[in-house]
Amino acid sequence: MRETLVEMDEAPLVEFKDLVVSYGPIQALAGVSGVFLPGPTGLLGPNGAGKTTLLKTLLGFLEPDDGTLTAFGLDPTKRPLEVRRRIGYLPEVDCHLPGMTAASFVAFAGELSGLPRDEAISRAHEVLYYVGLGEARYRTVDTYSTGMKQRVKLAQALVHDPDLLLLDEPTNGLDPAGRDEMLALIRDISERRQMSLILCSHLLRDVEQVCENVIVFNQGRVAASGRISELTGPRRAVYDVRVKGDPAAFLTDLKDHGCEWREGEDSYRVFLGDGAGPELIFRMARESGVQVRFLRPGAETLEDVFLRALGHEAEA
Amino acid sequence: MPIYEQTYRRHEARGTLRRVRFWPITREALRLILARRAFLGLLVVAWLPFVVRVIQIYVVTRFPEASRILPVDGRLFGEFLIQQSVWMMFITIFGGAGLVANDLRTGAILVYLSRPLTRRDYVLGKLGVLMLLNLSVTLVPGLLLYLIALALAPDQFLKWNLAWIGPAIVLQSLVMSLVMGLVGLAVSSLSRSARVAGIGFFGIVAGLEVARGILYAFYRRPETALISFRASLQSLAAALFGLSERSVSLPWFYPAILLTVVALGCLLVLRSRVRAVEIVQ
Repeated sequence: MRETLVEMDEAPLVEFKDLVVSYGPIQALAGVSGVFLPGPTGLLGPNGAGKTTLLKTLLGFLEPDDGTLTAFGLDPTKRPLEVRRRIGYLPEVDCHLPGMTAASFVAFAGELSGLPRDEAISRAHEVLYYVGLGEARYRTVDTYSTGMKQRVKLAQALVHDPDLLLLDEPTNGLDPAGRDEMLALIRDISERRQMSLILCSHLLRDVEQVCENVIVFNQGRVAASGRISELTGPRRAVYDVRVKGDPAAFLTDLKDHGCEWREGEDSYRVFLGDGAGPELIFRMARESGVQVRFLRPGAETLEDVFLRALGHEAEA
Repeated sequence: MPIYEQTYRRHEARGTLRRVRFWPITREALRLILARRAFLGLLVVAWLPFVVRVIQIYVVTRFPEASRILPVDGRLFGEFLIQQSVWMMFITIFGGAGLVANDLRTGAILVYLSRPLTRRDYVLGKLGVLMLLNLSVTLVPGLLLYLIALALAPDQFLKWNLAWIGPAIVLQSLVMSLVMGLVGLAVSSLSRSARVAGIGFFGIVAGLEVARGILYAFYRRPETALISFRASLQSLAAALFGLSERSVSLPWFYPAILLTVVALGCLLVLRSRVRAVEIVQ
């Protein structure tokens, strides 16, 4: 199945069409199509879905078996250097040069990206202040905590002021406070510094906090894509329902009437079919002999979209 | 106010892609290596044979009868360079073993390859480190020794028929540094641990030398030098400087072919190991 994305009204930074990428006999991307528009875009999916493979193809590390991918109108396999100089990449894995201070490391990264040495040093200090490592910039990166290492990775990706920032699981290994700070930084980069970014994550909350658009990957395919507001908008009526009694018959009846449901901690999240209202829930409850003890209208979250997309993929 | 509010500005200027992109890699790696005092000590010790050779030249010029025991002619430079290959080995182990291995271990390889750099730039940058370090104990003292010989014994060395010594020192030093550097880098790329890579490199050099020694003891043939690339370097030096070392005396093209094959093999290893994406089949 080949997927296409929604119509977009802005010139895309990255376009990929029928893209097939394999690692030997294993197909990591199976004919995916899509675009990354200016602004923040989330790349969502479980581990092994093909998100990092797409980023690595975008950087020219992998050559597609079939299909096309262009970044800034350039083919990364043919002109990788020109593409890479406009991209800042924060890899998922730990990356630093042993024995180097953060200031030297980030300046070195800037120089590798083509900045003149003096400019690279000056920008390294600015960027390290920006990510909150100003006071620790003369310490070797080896001595940094996980959170600080994530920040220095962000700094090295930012130092040359790229047009597009690729963030591969930037909140990996961070505690909740560290995660919030990192997400606040990323949001600031996107909103106030007007930098486009692709946030690759398996954490829905991270993507929801930062991005306007999202592409959901599953098993090497695009499972869903578009603006988060459209995907999570009031397209379907959603209710959180708690019932007293045996819910099996109630849930079966709901399904028979075109509704979907998902079990929560102490309630069910019910997605009603087209045109249906809450009275359907009450009717089904009455018919199946359970008592509705709690009913609250809700909105479809990105998590719902994600799980629905994965569910549809599995069914397909 | 969050600390990240302090400063940040967009960088408006974007220049053209650099032509020489490997130099920052070489420079930074050299800076890190030379910051280690133990390594600086090794470099100083590697210059001691130079001092001994200078004394030898000086003594022979002052006391000509000493030349019967310590002859001073073109061969002296070949012997000096062969002697230096031992120091090159240690420099490659302590300075080069971690060059690629550490980048693979810490993920720094992605920092390089996600930039406007090719894998060739990366290898050139790392090779440049070993070339410069190795040349600093071969080419630099070799040429200096030659200049000192010209100054101390002009009657002996300032002759047209000995004008080949300078180019021979340059050629032999370059070949030795290049081959040793490529082997060092290739071995470094095969491991994620600098220590393992260092031991591996020493094992390869020493193991092949031992194997050659055993074979030579049995067969007494100079072709056994082709077993070991260090012996092949000696063989090349013997051909270039006219050394009468029977165990490695071969026409120059034998070691030249072998060393070319070794260098190409190392490049193939580097080509397969220096990657941003590791594919496990």
